[in-house]
Amino acid sequence: MVAPQEQQTESLVFPAGGGETGELIRNFDWSKTPLGPLSGWPQSLKTVTNMLLLSPVPIVLLWGEDGIMIYNDAYSGFAGSRHPQLLGSKVREGWAEIADFNDNVMKVGLAGGTLAYENQQLTLFRRGKPEPVWMNLDYSPVVDESGRPRGVIAIVVETTQEVLGQQKLRQSEQRFRALTEATSDIVYRMSPHWTEIRQLDGRGFLTDVASPSTAWQEEYLLPEDRPVLQQVIDEAVRSKSVFQHEHRVRRTDGTIGWIFSRAVPILDDQGEIVEWFGAASDVTERRRNEEYLRLVVHELNHRVKNNLAMTQAIAAQTFRNVTDLKEAQARFSGRMVALGQANDLLTGERWVGASLLGAIRQAIHPHCPEEHRCETGGQDVKLSPKTALALTLAAHELATNALKYGAWSDETGKVVVSCSTYKDSDGNERIRIEWRESGGPPVLPPQRRGFGSTLIERGLTREMGGEVKMDFQPDGLVCIVDAPESPYAKG
Amino acid sequence: MTIAMLVEDMLTELGHQVIDLAMRLPYAAELARTAAFDLAILDINLDGRKSFPVADILKERGIPFIFATGYGAAGLDAAYVGYPVLTKPFLVQDLGAAIAGLGLDGCRDDARHSTSPGHPNP
Repeated sequence: MVAPQEQQTESLVFPAGGGETGELIRNFDWSKTPLGPLSGWPQSLKTVTNMLLLSPVPIVLLWGEDGIMIYNDAYSGFAGSRHPQLLGSKVREGWAEIADFNDNVMKVGLAGGTLAYENQQLTLFRRGKPEPVWMNLDYSPVVDESGRPRGVIAIVVETTQEVLGQQKLRQSEQRFRALTEATSDIVYRMSPHWTEIRQLDGRGFLTDVASPSTAWQEEYLLPEDRPVLQQVIDEAVRSKSVFQHEHRVRRTDGTIGWIFSRAVPILDDQGEIVEWFGAASDVTERRRNEEYLRLVVHELNHRVKNNLAMTQAIAAQTFRNVTDLKEAQARFSGRMVALGQANDLLTGERWVGASLLGAIRQAIHPHCPEEHRCETGGQDVKLSPKTALALTLAAHELATNALKYGAWSDETGKVVVSCSTYKDSDGNERIRIEWRESGGPPVLPPQRRGFGSTLIERGLTREMGGEVKMDFQPDGLVCIVDAPESPYAKG
Repeated sequence: MTIAMLVEDMLTELGHQVIDLAMRLPYAAELARTAAFDLAILDINLDGRKSFPVADILKERGIPFIFATGYGAAGLDAAYVGYPVLTKPFLVQDLGAAIAGLGLDGCRDDARHSTSPGHPNP
């Protein structure tokens, strides 16, 4: 056996092993340091040096008052380009940029104390420029043969990557928080299968969810909307793709609103859904406007059709039994203008209704030869759109007749229209409209009933649910409409 | 009301006799309940009110009716989908065809009772 020989040889080699740094230590000229040549090192120093060289953890020994540096391969990696100059140097000079820090370490350690730092930040020059470095540092005294502290041993674990990673994560979380707070959207988180809502910030629009709840569908949704929403959810979960749906919700104040909701799945490393993160905006106003617009278009279509039907009715009446086509055409045009003006009047009033006097004035004014030959006055009342249209057409007929045969057909005659309201014997409000022509040429009752008379006697009577009397007095036509103020008094 | 008069004239031209016109819902309902007639032309919009309550009465009494409306068939209540509808404006022939489609017995030949409760528009 050659073992005794080998043991003998090995005991001569110091330090034993230790990789590249071990090799450097063996070849270093220690006589230029306060430690002196390797052969003269005390056994305590040799033992600690051998121990640290065999450790995979970065360890540095700071020996003597000056803290002469002896370290292992793992520490040389930490030291960067400062290795190998650092080996054998005085710690306050070797790490000149943190001399104060190490001065304290040496004082405490040589006095027999220990130091421990977690994620200690120091600025080191390891690649030619200052950089922040974070470390877990543990310092303990090392005693010599006499039992007195002669050095300090330090275990140095760099945590820069972890610290920076945590910082990034924290910043990312801050940004995320800022985003969710900056947006006016509702923000929510759902469990992988949407069975549970984990959190919801409702912005006062929906009720907040602070702790996970499975009753979210009952809380926010209308029962009849749930099947469709569930389909959209199922499809998003199945395809692990964006959930997107516009649906009704029960708002915090109990009313029904609309939201446009979008959520993205958050996947783990295996590609499984961890949770859903979603945002939803309140689109109630937009939905309301759309609905309103739809109604308006529908209503407008109805009115257009009605106007066409009225045009058709007026044409049928105007061209019935005509002898003079040209005159009939002119009459028809006049009636179309009156119809158009009645529409304007009602549009101005948003089709809620129109003033009785306003309707009459608008209809007769275009035909009145001189301002003073046309008087309108009395008590005004509000008419329904339908009644206003009827009255406008009737007034147009009376005015054109006055111009053609009546008070406005000569130079002096005039028309006075007066309106009044009164209570009948049963206490019901009634309207009385009087059209009185005077000062015109002598009047003869017409030979046949024209459209105007038909319209007034057959139409207006029933429209207003009252009576209309047309009296062709020699002095001029007197037409009296007497009807309940509310047309509903009699269908 | 002008349209009501036009329909009245159309019905007369088709050989029917018009017993009355109602411009608004209460009177239309009263006619539908009490008058004697065998056909009604019913405008859906009676001065801003839907005339379906009148249709309910007519249906109850078994009196046929035809809707006339500017809204078209889309304006019908779900309960009346499939009922005859005339979309305004329409021709006397359209009205005649719609009445013929009801298959009334001798209505035209006898030139008897026809009515139009509910022709609301001026």
